[in-house]
Formats: sequence, structure tokens, C-alpha cells
Amino acid sequence: MYLPDFEYFTPDSVEEACQLLSKYGPKAMAIAGGTDIVVKMKKEVLAPEILVSIGHLPELKKIEYVPGKGVVIGAGVTHNEVQNSKILQEKYLSVCEAAHQMANNQVRNLGTIGGNISNAVPSADMPPILIALDTTVKIVGSKKERTLPLEDVFKGPNQTVLEHDELITEFVIPDGSFTGSTYLKFGLRASGALAVVGVAASVQMDGGVIKDARIVLGAVSPVPLRAKEAENLLKGKQASEELFEEAGVIASGECRPISDIRASAEYRRDMVRVFTRRALLKAVNEGHV
Amino acid sequence: MAKEFSYLNMKREYSYIGKSLKRTDILDKVTGRGKFAADLKFSNMLYGKLIRSTEAHARIIKIDTSEAEKLPGVRAIITAKDVPSIKYGLSPARYDENIFCIDKVRYYGDKIGAICAVDEETLYKALKLIKVEYEVLPAVFTPAEAAKPDAPQIFEEYPGNINTEIHLEFGDVEKAKQEAYYIRTDRLQGQRTLHGFIEPHCSIAYWEGKRVTIHSAHQSAHYLQHHIARIFDMKEGDVRVVLPYIGGGFGGKVDISGLDIAAVALSKITGQPVKMFYDLEEVWYNGRARHGMDMKYTTGVTKEGKILFVENETILDGGAYTGLGVASAYYAGALLTVLYDFDNYRFDAYRYVTNLPPCGAQRGHGQPHPRYAFESHLDHIAEDLGMDPIEIRLINARKANTVTPNGYEVKSYYLKEANEMARDASGWKDKKGKLPVGRGIGVGNGGFVTGAGYCMYRTDLPHSVAMIKIYDDGTHAIVYTNAVDIGQGSDTVLTQMAAQAMGYPYEDITICTRDTDLSTLDFGAYASRQTLMAGWAVKRAGEDVKRKILAQAAEMLKVKEDGGYRFGKLTPEELDCEEGIVFVKQEPAVNITFAEVARAYFVKHGVLIGRGYYHPGKLGGTHKGAAVGTSPAYSSATQVAEVEVDMETGLTKVVGTWDVHDSGFVVNPQLLHGQVHGAFSMGIGETIWEKVVFDEKGKVLNGNFAEYRLPTALDMPYVESLVLDTFEPNGPWGVKEVGEGATTPTLGCVANAVYDAIGVRISELPLTPEKIWRALKEKEAKEKGGK
Amino acid sequence: MAEFVVGEDGIKRYLVSITVNGIKYTKVVKANSLLVNFLREDLNLTGTKRACEQGDCGACTVLLDGKPVNSCMVLTVSVDGREVTTVEGLASNDKLDILQEKFIEHSAPQCGFCAPGILMSAKALLMKNPNPTEYEVREAIAGNLCRCTGYVHYVEAILDAAAASQERKDGKNG
Ligand SMILES: Cc1cc2nc3c(=O)[nH]c(=O)nc-3n(C[C@H](O)[C@H](O)[C@H](O)COP(=O)(O)OP(=O)(O)OC[C@H]3O[C@@H](n4cnc5c(N)ncnc54)[C@H](O)[C@@H]3O)c2cc1C
Ligand code: FES
Ligand code: FES
Repeated sequence: MYLPDFEYFTPDSVEEACQLLSKYGPKAMAIAGGTDIVVKMKKEVLAPEILVSIGHLPELKKIEYVPGKGVVIGAGVTHNEVQNSKILQEKYLSVCEAAHQMANNQVRNLGTIGGNISNAVPSADMPPILIALDTTVKIVGSKKERTLPLEDVFKGPNQTVLEHDELITEFVIPDGSFTGSTYLKFGLRASGALAVVGVAASVQMDGGVIKDARIVLGAVSPVPLRAKEAENLLKGKQASEELFEEAGVIASGECRPISDIRASAEYRRDMVRVFTRRALLKAVNEGHV
Repeated sequence: MAKEFSYLNMKREYSYIGKSLKRTDILDKVTGRGKFAADLKFSNMLYGKLIRSTEAHARIIKIDTSEAEKLPGVRAIITAKDVPSIKYGLSPARYDENIFCIDKVRYYGDKIGAICAVDEETLYKALKLIKVEYEVLPAVFTPAEAAKPDAPQIFEEYPGNINTEIHLEFGDVEKAKQEAYYIRTDRLQGQRTLHGFIEPHCSIAYWEGKRVTIHSAHQSAHYLQHHIARIFDMKEGDVRVVLPYIGGGFGGKVDISGLDIAAVALSKITGQPVKMFYDLEEVWYNGRARHGMDMKYTTGVTKEGKILFVENETILDGGAYTGLGVASAYYAGALLTVLYDFDNYRFDAYRYVTNLPPCGAQRGHGQPHPRYAFESHLDHIAEDLGMDPIEIRLINARKANTVTPNGYEVKSYYLKEANEMARDASGWKDKKGKLPVGRGIGVGNGGFVTGAGYCMYRTDLPHSVAMIKIYDDGTHAIVYTNAVDIGQGSDTVLTQMAAQAMGYPYEDITICTRDTDLSTLDFGAYASRQTLMAGWAVKRAGEDVKRKILAQAAEMLKVKEDGGYRFGKLTPEELDCEEGIVFVKQEPAVNITFAEVARAYFVKHGVLIGRGYYHPGKLGGTHKGAAVGTSPAYSSATQVAEVEVDMETGLTKVVGTWDVHDSGFVVNPQLLHGQVHGAFSMGIGETIWEKVVFDEKGKVLNGNFAEYRLPTALDMPYVESLVLDTFEPNGPWGVKEVGEGATTPTLGCVANAVYDAIGVRISELPLTPEKIWRALKEKEAKEKGGK
Repeated sequence: MAEFVVGEDGIKRYLVSITVNGIKYTKVVKANSLLVNFLREDLNLTGTKRACEQGDCGACTVLLDGKPVNSCMVLTVSVDGREVTTVEGLASNDKLDILQEKFIEHSAPQCGFCAPGILMSAKALLMKNPNPTEYEVREAIAGNLCRCTGYVHYVEAILDAAAASQERKDGKNG
């Protein structure tokens, strides 16, 4: 395999990166870890003429807790950095666990959380758990800056609301009231397998009663999907396995899976049921966020 | 009548064999120093690729290379018109593959031509500029489609798209049917898989005058040399094949690949070395892996479970060309009779050609699928009779020193003992029928030939030849043999054998292999033949050296006259040599070093060389195809697997595996266990995940390691590899095979374990989570409906 | 930003300075140069293997600033100023790394094509976690496919290497 020719820029700041992207227009693209874009270029799915490196920018590399705001994760943080972050392990272990279930160790050392989101593949592992935790995204462009709920970033497979001169710079997982969360990935091999179904759940418990819940499904619709009807079912109810099974059944009705080489739509639907139930149980029982 | 002789428990001690000595190649492999084909560079070398078809079945109208030719750095582009129009293959009866397609392409990925350029980048760019115009023909992708009366014909020479048709009967099946207490039929399907070695093929050729040298990732220096000579109408002596380290083969580097032929042709035209290589995906198009098989078995048994007859109908999806496929078809039915002792057997098979990459041999050639089908079938028969699965196997297992109805002579054979040992090691009795739902245990039997009885083409050549040269001063020895170490460790095992045969230190021996100029004939690494066949040649060469050493030593050694032993001159028979010391057997204190003796020999006679060769002789019966499956020795093996199935998702996790191998004398236990571990991992992959998938155009959909899932370190269970202490009279020091045989029971044993766990038989491999899920749903629906 | 020159073909070549196995190399590469090819072709370090070229097999694993990565997905320009360790850099002079010693002892590789990658993954693991569990070892090499060995001897060898280097350390300190 080979890569076609392109030009490579190493800007010193996000600002400069955005200006470069703006200057060269759609023929320029950002590259962070390169684990998506390099493979796509080899496969001739993409052929950017210019790559603007952002993976090296220190301003995208932070993971910090800002009281009153939440945990801030720079877009250039790699999956292994997420997984090994003391702050995240303490505050949102489920995010670390999601990062840990991704790809394999070598890819996790390169691939970034920003790349995973921007790439917007339906089976991506980070979106469900981040959405389940009400994560917001800071988007910086050459002219403007905006903050959106992560949920609103996705438009379709490989499509986001980002303009071509915009970059995601950070994710904020707000101080929330969730008492438990988890992400369960169902892949066809113990490592190096994309999700056939991914289910993230977060719950806010009041004793045995569910005050609030999020269920976010991956790999079963063009974009990560909130199973809102299932969420509504849960609210105000006493947690039980039967209830979670019912939520699973509802969620499996809400998803819009396709059949592909990995699984049929029918199977994916049923796996949504199974993993929704399992995710809710885990989020409630294990209690860590 | 002579008393039945047992080759069991003949424990022997040796200096250099029966020990896990350090691999000869290991330092190269842990330092990155060892060169694989793609690591080689020659000055002025060009880089080349095949031009491949993007249609499954089509007439070639026009090949436009003009744009590519204009690209600076492109050195040559060749198509059918630039190379001999000869047909080649591996089964002489069916040479049906052209170097490059002449009239039409027969599968997506078929070879249309080749191109070379000064560097990889130019090469890839040029490749994209080549335009081929086709007249698309209707294609067939399954044997069922190929068999239809109005199906498009892929080859003129195979009417009805039937490439190989087999009808054999031994004994009297119809009569046995009358006598059977119980008869059952099962039909199961094995899928098309891939060898899955990590190193893609690569081949480099260059010419020096009339001679060509090829460095290739190949499993047989000899076959490559033979076929290149044949294709280019050259003398074999003008073709030199050198094989670097090989990154795994498993049968996928036995065929003559388009790379080898194109490298030779392009380097001739350009006068420069040409490196031809595959990207990983092209390995799928190269194909030559396990055939998809549709297998129907009908078996009749007595009340006690003794098999009376078996009818076996097998349909093979051959893909576009034959390669080794005729042998695959015969193998699909040949070896069942080795495992189980019954007299009446009918085997009918059809190998169809289809518009998919050609199938061929993959580890355990032709065995894993039939073993999977029959072992599943046998479990059902046992269940129907209320028998334990191991019990029915014990009753039917073949015994040593017998002859199968299809004419194979079986010397050492201890399948029964293997079953017993596997049963005890796995805790079978405490588990079978006692595990909770979702957990299961299963057994499977297998085994393999230890080398094919006949060369792939007709010849009277010995199968293996070896030579050992001792350095002038006796301080080092070189073993010559073109046995091919593809990772299995033949270099090590053969060096151990040479050390043992000569009585010379292992660490002072170098092995010179895989070079047709520098080393000696061997047919290469296939059919699990190296340890036995090259082993014989090396053993004999070593003994030849030893004979000369002892004769020389007899002249040099003197027994002290007052030592009380005896007076006078020694004879060689009174001497022996071990670990580099020649000594008087009756008085070991009287000794001299091998090196001193060797030096004296050199001074007197010139170079000290030992020679040995091996030919298995005439084997097998006279029926059509009788040669396939003949072998000097047969291994047997029993495997047990324990699995855990998630009853909601269908995901299977193999949690424990046990293998008991009847491999004859084990030269290097560590290497043997390594073979078993690898075999299990391939077999588990094939049972649960692996299958080559195509789209409706015949294009491979999972030509990568993301979607063609080999087991990772996290998927592999605990493996316990055990050996029976057996001895094979036809093997040097009693050896038999392990490499291929170890894969043959796995599919059946894992499938039986899954059946045990979930209570439904899935009749088609692989047992993906979704298939298990579906089967469980259907079972549930049926049970509900039944109520 | 890396300095560059523009070739006659109008394509930029970048000046990079990369430390490989402790030696600093200054080279001119195109932006499309992949680290795996740079190592194998430009530096002749063919111990690093190329197979799947998409991050699936791990044959091309090298350490980049101490962390294992797939060099088939890394642009050489992005490694400017950084440190790479390949299998050739494991042994110092003629002294093998403990992992190499244990790979030999356990006969871990068979065909050996995956071995350099597995060594690098294992090396990174032991640098970070000198006392790993079997699961952690399996996890660390799960991105390295091996078709020959079922990973059994590899896992044993890595665990043994960890134990042996712990012992050596204890010996030294005590
Ligand atoms: C072998 C292998 C296995 C994989 N397994 C998984 C898996 O299990 N689960 C999974 O989810 N993914 C998987 N992936 C995909 C990939 O590794 C991840 O999506 C990774 O997070 C991508 O990050 P990156 O930094 O490498 O992205 P890059 O390749 O650098 O970029 C990807 C895309 O995002 C854009 N981009 C990157 N950063 C930003 C930013 N900050 N703002 C705006 N746009 C940006 C780029 O322009 C590009 O279009 C796998 C990939 C490989 C090669
Ligand atoms: S070649 Fe890089 S991961 Fe396979
Ligand atoms: S040893 Fe052959 S691939 Fe691992």
C-alpha cells in the first residue's frame, strides 16, 4: 500500500492550525494520531493534498479537573492517556474503560479522542459513553469558537457539524449528578474488533429509584443514538432486572441498525436489548461513574 | 501367529534428540537480524506487482498500458503475449493455469500481467494507470451454481464445471447396511478459510547469463525450481532457488505463485533484479487455502457402537484453478479409514471450479473439515445410542500394525490410548454431562500422514537427500538438506538428528538449507514430512560420517596391552562415538576426539563427507487415486476442548484445551508443543471466526486482519499439550509427524464442545456468535411450539 | 516546523532529525514516507516487519518515545525530533535484552515474523509494569498477531523475563 503525495504542516498552535485549514480549504485536513486518516488514505477513501498536524500541540494534550466546570480532556489526548489518567480513573472510570476497549495497545498509543469523535464512525467507542455523561465539545475555527453538546456534533456516518476550518479542542464532562455509568462493547474478538453493538448507560440513583438515566447506543444507527424512550421508561422507577430488560426491549426498538459483514440488523437489535440491560445493571450495581 | 507387537512406552535416552535444544535460528529471530524475502535488497533492484482482474469471469478485450508506460520510472509491463503460453499447476493431471490470463479471467484478482518500476511509489502509481477492458461473462460462486445445467462453463476442459470426480468403494456397503443396528446421516459444511500467515508472499529474481536465481517466500525449493524450469523451458540446473526465512506457510506457499514467475520474466526483460510482492489483501486472492466443503456422512453401527460402514459424499468449492486441488479432493475422503477401523466405505466427491480464488492445501490438507463433520456425526451416533462420545471412539479406534480398506499400511497407531489420556487429563468424566448450560466439553480425533508417499509429479527421485561435511580440522560440521524450515523448526530437529547420528556436538553443527545450488534435494515443507523424510536422509548421512570416523579411529586407537582388555588391532565395530568422543565400547577410557580422527581422515583421504537419502518405496493400493494418503507413517491425536457460550449473545470462549499426540519419538519436545499450540489457535479461529467472504462480484470483503479475525493472545485459552510415548518403525529413531495433524481434531472438538454447551448442532462453520444466537432462538421457538 | 526543499517534481521534501536506537539520523523525506518504510528502506533496519499496513497485525511495532506504536501508520515527518527504538536497538552491544534471552529459552518464536513486534510490545510493558499478570501480558501483545504459536511460549517467556529481571534487581539492591 502506499500514500499519495501531500504537503505536511506542523503549526505551533490551534489558531495557526485553523488558519491553515481555512487558507487551504477542503483539500486540507487535520491529522492527529493518524490511525484513521492514514489508513483511509492508503485505501484511497480520502486524498487530502495537505495534512495539518495537530497531534503534537501541547494545548490539546491536557486532562484536568476544573472545579465547577468538570473534567476537561484535550482533543489530542490518546486513548491510552485517557485510560491511564488518574483524574479520569477517579472521576469517570467508565470513560477509561471505554478507551481501554478500543483497538489494541499500539493503536491506543496513537489514536486520539478528538480523532475518534471527528471521524464519526457509527461503531466508534468513545461517543456513547461521553454522550451518556452529557459531554460538551469546544470547537474552534479560524473565525469563531463554539461549544456544543457532543450529541449534536454527529450528522451521519463520517459526517459531523464541523466546518472544514474547525477543530475540536476539548471535551468537558460536566460535574453531573450521575451515580453510575458504564460502556459495554460487544465485539467479535477479545481485542482488535470493532463494536457490533456498543451501549453506554449512566444513571442517577436515589436509593433504589432511578432519578435520571441515559442510554446511548453505538454501531446501530448512522450516529450515536440516545434511546430516549427507554430512558423515559426508567425515570422514577425502582431499579430491577425486569425493568432493565424492558428498557432493553424498548431500546432495541429505537435503534436503526444495518446488516453488514460483522452482523445482521436483526442480531444487532437483539444485542441492543441484551447489552442495554447489562449496562444498566452494571451502572446501577457497580456505582462508579 | 506372531504376537502383536506394541510400539508403546519404549522410552530411550539420547544425547541430542528427545531434548529441547535451542533452535538453530533463534538468535536471528529475536534480534531482527534474520532476513525474510521482503528484507532482501539487491543493487539496482526493481519493484514489481501483478496486474489483477477486477472481474470474476470475463473475456479480456483490451489491456491499455500506454499511460503507465509513460510514467517515469516504470521499467516494464508484461502480459500474456510476453511470456510462454504454457499451462502450469501442481497436479500434473490438471495443469490449467496460465502465467497471465490469455483469453479470459476466471476470478476477481486473476493475473493479467505484471509491472515493475524503480520504486514502490512509482509502481503503485503506474498500476492505477493500467486500463483493462472486459466483456463480462456470467459467473458462478458456489458449487451449487456451478452444477446447474445452464451454468456458465469456466473451463472447456471441465464440462459441468467438474474439476475432479471421485467414486470409490471398499468392502460392501450395501451388505453392511443390512447388518447395521442403527444408521444415521448428517450433513455439515466447512467454510473457505485462509492460512493466515503474517508474512505476505515476496519473490525476487535476477539473471546471471543463462541462469536465474530466485529468492522466494516458498515452502519448497525443489518444486519451485522444477516448475520454473518447466515453465520457462530451462534446465533445472539453470534455476537456482534460495529461500530466506519464511514467515509461516501452512500450505499457502507451496504453489508456484504468480510472483515467482513474473519476477523471473521481468528480470529477464529488464536485466535487473526484480522484487515482486503482495500487499496483504492479495494473499486472499492468491488463495490456495482450505476448500469450502459440503459433507454428508451416513454411518451404520452395531448396537455396541462399532462402525460397520460409512458413506461419504463431499462437494468441494475449488475456486478457479486446480493447484493442489485434486489431492485435496482425494484427501477429503482418504484418511477417515486410518482413524477408525471399519471395512466398508464409500467415498464420492466432486470438486467444482467456481469464479473465486483457487483453493488448495492448508495445514492438515483436506482433513480438518472432514474431521469436523465426522466427529460431529459420531457424537450424534453416540448420543443416539446412549453412549459416551469417548467410549464410541475407543471402540472404533484403529490399532497398530493394520491395513486400512483403502490400502494404507499403518504401523504404530495409538488413537485409543490418546483418547484415554485426553479423557483423564481433561477431567472428562467429571465434566461430560455435568456442566451447567452454556458450558460444554467436546472431543475430536485426528491425525495425518507423515509425508506423502509420492512426489507431486511423477519421478523416481528420492524424496530427500542429505550430506554432511566435516571441516578439515574436524571442529565443525555442516549439514546440507533442502528441508524447509517455515517456522516449525526443521532446521533444529535435523541438526539434532545429525548430531545424534554422528555422535558429534550439536553446538558445532551448522545447517545449510534452502538453496538448490548449495544444498541437497528435498521436496520441502508440506504433508508434515520433514522430520521423518529429511530425518532419514540426515540420519543416514550422519551414520555414513560415523562409519568413516570409526574406521579411521580403529587405526588410531590402541588398547593398552596391560589393560586387560585384549591384544591386537581394533575393528570399527568395537568402537562408538558420542558427543564428539570416539571410544572403545568395552573400555571407554580408551578414546580420542572426533576432531582428531576427522583431521587424520582429511589428511589421508581429503574431505570427510557423509551421504544419505530417503525414498519411501512403493506404497498403497491400485485403485484410482490410491497414492493420495499413502505415507510411511500415520500420527494420531485426540483433543478435548471446554467452552463457555454466552447464551444470550452466542459468543463462545474456549476456556481449556487438551491435546494428546501420538507422534512417535519426539525429537524436540518444546518444538512439538509449539506446533500443538499453534494448531489449536488456528483451529479455534477456524471454528469460531474465520471465513473468507466475497461480495456479489467475487471481490473479497474481508481481505485484512481486522475482518478476517485470527485469534489474539486474549482469545487463546490454556493449552495442555501431552504426548504418548510411541515409536514408529518407519521413522528414524521412531519419529512421526505433529505439525499438520494437530490441526485436524480441533474443529471437531470445539464444535462438539459448543454442541454440548448449547444443545443444538450448527451444521456450518464457523460457529459465529450470530449463528449460535440464531440456533438458540430457533430451538426456543421450536420448544415453545412443541408445548 | 520542519524545513523543506521542493523537488523538481514540485513536491516538498522535509528535513527530519530522528533518533533511532540512540543514533541521530538527519534525513530528507517526503510527507508520504511512513515510518515503517523509513526504517526498512532508508535506514536498512529490516527487523521491523511490514505486513498488514493498517494497524491490525503489530508486525511493524516500534517504540516511539518509549511507547509501542504501529510504524505503518506513523508519518516519518511526524517523528521529527523524537526517539524511536526498533528490535535492533534492544540488545546493547552483544548483550541481549532479558526478553530476548527468555524468548530463546522458551523457543517463543517459530517463523519469527511476529517476533520483533512482540518483543517491542513486551519491552514497553515491562518498562511500565515490571511485574505484570498473565492477563496484562496477553493484553499487551493482543495487538500482535501470531499464527504459529498460539502465543503460549511468548506469554511464558515474557512472564519469565519479568520474574528474572525482578530477581536481578532484587539481587542488586539487596
Ligand atoms: C487497527 C485499528 C483498530 C481500531 N479499533 C477501533 C476501535 O475498536 N474503536 C474505535 O472507536 N476506533 C477504532 N479505530 C479507529 C481509530 O483508531 C480511532 O477512531 C482513533 O481515535 C482516531 O484518532 P486519530 O487521532 O488517530 O485520528 P486521525 O486519523 O488523526 O483523524 C481522524 C479524522 O478526524 C479528524 N480530526 C482528528 N482530530 C481532530 C480534531 N481535534 N478536530 C477536528 N477533526 C479532527 C481528521 O482530520 C480525520 O479526518 C481503530 C483503528 C485501527 C487502525
Ligand atoms: S504492518 Fe503495521 S500493524 Fe500490521
Ligand atoms: S511465529 Fe510465526 S507469526 Fe508468530
